[in-house]
Amino acid sequence: MAEIADISNEFIRQEIDEFIERADERERIISLFSRSSPGMQAIAAALIDGDNELVDELTQAALAAGAEALEVMDYGLIAGMAIVGVKFRQNFIFVPEVLACARAMKAGMKHIDPILSASGIEPLGKVVMGTVKGDLHDIGKNLCIMMLRGAGFEVIDLGVDTSSDAFIDAVERHQAHLMGMSALLTTTMPNMGKTIDAFIDADLRDGVKIMVGGAPVTQEFADDMGADGYGKDALACVALAKKLLGVESRT
Amino acid sequence: MKLNGADFVIIGENIHTTRMVLRNGKLVVTAPGGSEAVRYVSAAGETRFLPIPEAFKRTQDYGEGRIKHVKIAIHDAMAGGFEGLEYLRALVGRQSAAGAGADFLDLNVDEVSLRPAEQIDAMRWLVETIQSMTDIPVAVDSSNLETIVAGLDAARGRALLNSASLERIGALEIAASRGIPVVVTAAGEKGMPQDDLERVANASRMVDAALELGIAKSDLYVDALVFPISVDSQFGIHCFDAIRALRAKYGPEIHITGGLSNVSFGLPCRRVINDVFINLAVAAGADSGIVDPVATDVRRVFTLDKQARPYQLAEDMLLGRDRNCKSFLRAYRKGELGVA
Repeated sequence: MAEIADISNEFIRQEIDEFIERADERERIISLFSRSSPGMQAIAAALIDGDNELVDELTQAALAAGAEALEVMDYGLIAGMAIVGVKFRQNFIFVPEVLACARAMKAGMKHIDPILSASGIEPLGKVVMGTVKGDLHDIGKNLCIMMLRGAGFEVIDLGVDTSSDAFIDAVERHQAHLMGMSALLTTTMPNMGKTIDAFIDADLRDGVKIMVGGAPVTQEFADDMGADGYGKDALACVALAKKLLGVESRT
Repeated sequence: MKLNGADFVIIGENIHTTRMVLRNGKLVVTAPGGSEAVRYVSAAGETRFLPIPEAFKRTQDYGEGRIKHVKIAIHDAMAGGFEGLEYLRALVGRQSAAGAGADFLDLNVDEVSLRPAEQIDAMRWLVETIQSMTDIPVAVDSSNLETIVAGLDAARGRALLNSASLERIGALEIAASRGIPVVVTAAGEKGMPQDDLERVANASRMVDAALELGIAKSDLYVDALVFPISVDSQFGIHCFDAIRALRAKYGPEIHITGGLSNVSFGLPCRRVINDVFINLAVAAGADSGIVDPVATDVRRVFTLDKQARPYQLAEDMLLGRDRNCKSFLRAYRKGELGVA
């Protein structure tokens, strides 16, 4: 079994020691970093620090020095985000800090994305996201999108006030296997159910997993209307997306 | 209430079905008799217990440690329960007795049920019930216009309609025909405003339409829309600049308000953030707030020491001078902000 001492980067060791308490998570994260090179650990550390300029710089340098794009993504960016996610869940860090990390992730992915798509490597998964018809709230949905992108998903953002047809269109056009709907009002929540019904009527329901969220939405409501899952916040959204698509990261 | 000689209108937001207490918090206790309950002090001053029904314990809210106490009380009271009614009476009593005192009691039952017909029944019942307990006028608040109309029908005197916006401009006619005050929001037809200019443009269309219908300026409450500072460091400025512009444009009679606790979402030490935000909003020209008057004693808020370090840190953050809330959060970790 990997030991924390196997990790060369001192900042990463400290982060794990200070913030990762659950045994299973500790084991997984230590195992991940013990297999990653010092260069990847430095990228992860910069990401955890929310330093988008440094992540940008280190990612470019690593790629120029011959690192594989996939390695940088999995062992640098996504590995760093794994620690960020746990710190957020445990209230060690807060929304602005997670957003800074997500922006750092984006700065790195800017260099990774073109290489991956040129070599035909798929992202973790494609997710279509939108706020349902009649509802203009988008802050929570946008947090989810930033976290999903941070975790390595490709996200198609349909914005607010999204009709069933627009969801169906986007899922078909982008060949997405996962879709997320947000609603912040009890008056617009039923539109989630109507959209699910529209997928059934269009004979497309089997091809796509559907997750839902938003302040008044509950697991019971999600079950009632036939959604595949409910997430209570942006972090739960990422965990749910991974579960519904049957992907952990490649590491 | 009076604020430096002028009125500050408090729209008290305690009686909302969305309100929750934490299951591991100090208000959730084992009542005498052994059942889990929310402890409260009744209007008559005795300690009492609102039982958490078995059906609620099967919900996910409960599973994740959240107790929707107002929703529980309304369900209980509507079914004839004594404890639920006492609980509501206590909420009303605390809001009228609270230092500042609510000028309106905002009632929202959107989460009482997902069936519109049940929401409508609940609103009608709640308006009648609350009015039997107090003379403070009610604000009828819903995302469903039919629910609002049902509440207004049950109201005596001048209830406040909360709210009308560009996507629901018909609500203005309801307010005009009944001669009642109305909250108008700065939301757009197709989305939330991105900056101060969009806020002013949206709100102006609402205000102009209301004036056209003959609603008096003094019956208009403009909600400039408050978004979390944790998401974008410019969100505070957007709101303050919009308030300033609207005050300059429409003069002293119109009311400018907002849901003032939204600003601190996603951050620790929410109270100091909310308190400073209220001061900054008032300095910009706001004269009303949709607040919890029990948690936020507005008199205390207006007399805070503005030189204190937590105050200054929150002020910098809200004025867009603390990127990613970095200094504020650093101070929080060092324990410099006091208790949350």
